[in-house]
Amino acid sequence: MPNQSGNVYGLTILSPILDDPTIRISHDTALRIYLEKLPRHEDGPFAKVSATHLCRLVVMDDVVFVGAPAKQEHLQSKYLVFTSNFYGDLDAYLADMAAKIPDVVNDIWSHCVGYPGVRDPKAFAAYMKNCQIETTFFFAAVNDKTVEQTLRALQTKVEFAAFVEENQGRPPAELQAAFSTFWHRLEQLPPLRAGARELTRIRVAGVSGNAP
Amino acid sequence: MTKLNVFDIQGFVARGYNLPKASFLLAEIVDPGNGRHFVRRVAEQVTTAERWEQGKKPLSTLNIAFTWQGFVKLGLPDATLISFPVEFCQGMRQRSHILGDVGKNDPQHWDPVWQEDRVHVWLAVNAQNPDELAKRTAEVCRLMEETGGARLLGTQPASAVYIDGQPTPKEHFGFTDGFGNPDFEGVERNTIPGQGKLTADGKWAPLATGEFILGYPDESQELPACPVPYLLGINGTYMAFRKLHQNVASFRRYLEEKGKAYAGGKEKLAAKFAGRWRDGTPVELSPDKPDPALVKDPQRNTNFTYGNDMAGVRCPLGGHIRRMNPRDAFGFNGALVNRRRIMRRGMPYGEYTPEDQPARDEDDHGVVFMALGASLFRQFEFVQQQWTEYGNDAHLGNDKDPLVGRHEPGLDKHIVQGTADPGNAPFVCGSLPQFVEVRGGGYFFLPSLTALRLIGDGSVDPR
Repeated sequence: MPNQSGNVYGLTILSPILDDPTIRISHDTALRIYLEKLPRHEDGPFAKVSATHLCRLVVMDDVVFVGAPAKQEHLQSKYLVFTSNFYGDLDAYLADMAAKIPDVVNDIWSHCVGYPGVRDPKAFAAYMKNCQIETTFFFAAVNDKTVEQTLRALQTKVEFAAFVEENQGRPPAELQAAFSTFWHRLEQLPPLRAGARELTRIRVAGVSGNAP
Repeated sequence: MTKLNVFDIQGFVARGYNLPKASFLLAEIVDPGNGRHFVRRVAEQVTTAERWEQGKKPLSTLNIAFTWQGFVKLGLPDATLISFPVEFCQGMRQRSHILGDVGKNDPQHWDPVWQEDRVHVWLAVNAQNPDELAKRTAEVCRLMEETGGARLLGTQPASAVYIDGQPTPKEHFGFTDGFGNPDFEGVERNTIPGQGKLTADGKWAPLATGEFILGYPDESQELPACPVPYLLGINGTYMAFRKLHQNVASFRRYLEEKGKAYAGGKEKLAAKFAGRWRDGTPVELSPDKPDPALVKDPQRNTNFTYGNDMAGVRCPLGGHIRRMNPRDAFGFNGALVNRRRIMRRGMPYGEYTPEDQPARDEDDHGVVFMALGASLFRQFEFVQQQWTEYGNDAHLGNDKDPLVGRHEPGLDKHIVQGTADPGNAPFVCGSLPQFVEVRGGGYFFLPSLTALRLIGDGSVDPR
C-alpha cells in the first residue's frame, strides 16, 4: 500500500478552500497569513502531535500547464495541501490531531469547504479521509522508527560520542564503572523535544562530565 | 576523444604549472574603456595551454580571471551579464549562507581587500624563482599604469614550502599535498590510475572535459551551461578562490595531545585526519605506516577505492581526502561523485615553521585554495556545503571535515573508526579546534584567449 512504508505513513490531504467574494480578506489569503505566523520548530503545533516526523502545509492556488500549445486550465478551487510523514495508524493520528491541537486545526481547516470541526472526532476523521489522495511515493529517512526512538537515538549518539571521548583508554574496570554510570544517567535523561533545531541544543541537556 | 584547443585555453585551466613561486594580483577596473585596453594588452601575454617542449618550461606565466562585478565594470552587455549563473553573479561573499562561512569564517572577518566587491580582476603570475616573479609582476603593474585601466588593490603572494632550500609539495600542517587532480579527456598526459572516474569494471577513465571546461560535453553528456554569446564561454571555466588561514600551532598542539591517547600515536592520527600520512602515503593503501616507495609511484599513490573499507577502518569515513573525493564510497561505482569533482590549483602562502620550531596561529600562513570547474554551484559549493560542512552523505550526521571544517568551540568531533586490533583501536577526537579559517575569496571566470580579445575589443555581442 503506497501510503505506507513499514510503519511510516505518507499522508496527503487536499482540502478545497472556501471561495467567498463577499468577505474583505479571502480565505486563501487569510490562510496564508495564518500559516506564515505559525510558530516553528519545537514550538510548532505539530511538535505536540507526537507521531509526526515531518509535515507541511501549503496553499495551492492553481496548477499551471507547461508546454505548447499553451492551455488555460484551472483547478475548480484553491486547495490547502497537507502532507505528513508520521509513525503508525491514520485513525490514531487524526484523533491525536483533534485532541492535541484542536484550535490550530480549526483555525486552519475552517477556511476549507465542508469542514465539520474537531468536536466530533469521527466527523473530523471522515472529513480528512474524504479529502485524502493516495500518496504514490514518499521518502522519510527515519528507518521505520518512531519519533521518540529517533530523537532518543540522536541523543544517545551525541552523548555516547562524548562519553567515548572522555573515557577512551581507561582500564577496563574503570571503563565499565564509568559506562554503567553513564548508562544510568542516559536513561534518566528527559527525552528531547520534537522539532528541536540543532544538536547543540541537545547537548545542553547532556550528561557530559563522566570523566573522573 | 575530445581534442582541446590548447591555443585558446588558458594554461592555468589545463594544468598545474608546478612552478614554486606565485603572486595573485587583485585589482579593480577603474574605467570601462581603459579597462578593456588593459585586458587587450594582458591577452597578448597570457600563458596558454600550449604544450611546453622538453626543458622549455617558461620562467614565468601569466593568467587572468574576472569576477562578475569585473565584467560589469568592463561594460559587458546586460544580456550577457544576466546569462551567467546566479552564484557567479552574487560572488563568494554573498554565498556565505550556502558555504557555511559564518562564525570565524564570516566575511566580516575577511581581509579588507575582500570586504567590498572591489576585486574585479585576478592576475596570476607563477614563476620559477623570486626574480622572475618580481619581473613579471612589475610588467603587469606597468600595464595597469600605462593603460589606466586597472588599479592594484592587493597582492596575495604564494610559494611552495621550502625545506633545506628546496621547494617541496608540503603545506603548513606538514602534509604532502597536490595528489589526485581529476583526469579529464583531452589533456595531453597519460591517465594516472585513481584520478579520473571509475568504470563499471573497476578501472579508471578520464572524466568528460565538460566537467572542467565550457564548450565540451560533460558527465551528463550535455554541454555545460554557457553565458551568451557562446564564444565568450567556451574554453573558459569558473574558479573559486579562497584564502585559507591555517592555525598551525593549534593543529600541532591538538595532534600532540590526542596523539598521546590514541593507540596508533600522533603520526597515525594525522593520517586518520587527512587520509594520507604526512609524507603522502594513502592510509587506505598503507594503514600502518608511511611507505615512501608508494608515494613516489604515480601508478599507485592515488590508485585506491573505499569499497572494501566501508566501515572506515583504514581511511576513516570522515577523513579529509575521503570527504573531498569519496570515489566509490557511496556505491554505484562512484557515479555519485563524478559530477562533484573539483580541479585544485592550491599553493601555500606565508613562512613555513619547521616541526621543531614553535609555531604560532596568528602568523600569516595558509593555503591559497583555487578550485576550477564548469559549475561553481554543482561542484565547489556542493563539496563545501555537503562534504566539508556536513556529514550526512558519509553517514556521519552533522560532523564536519576534521581538517578544514568550521568547528564550533567544544562541539565538533572526528571519529576514527577502528578494529579490535589494539594498534588500530577506534578513537573519538572531540572538541576539535578550528584549524582552518577563511580569510577571503571570490568567484572568478577564466575566459579563453578568444573571449579575452572579445572583451578587450568591446565586441562581446549577445545577439
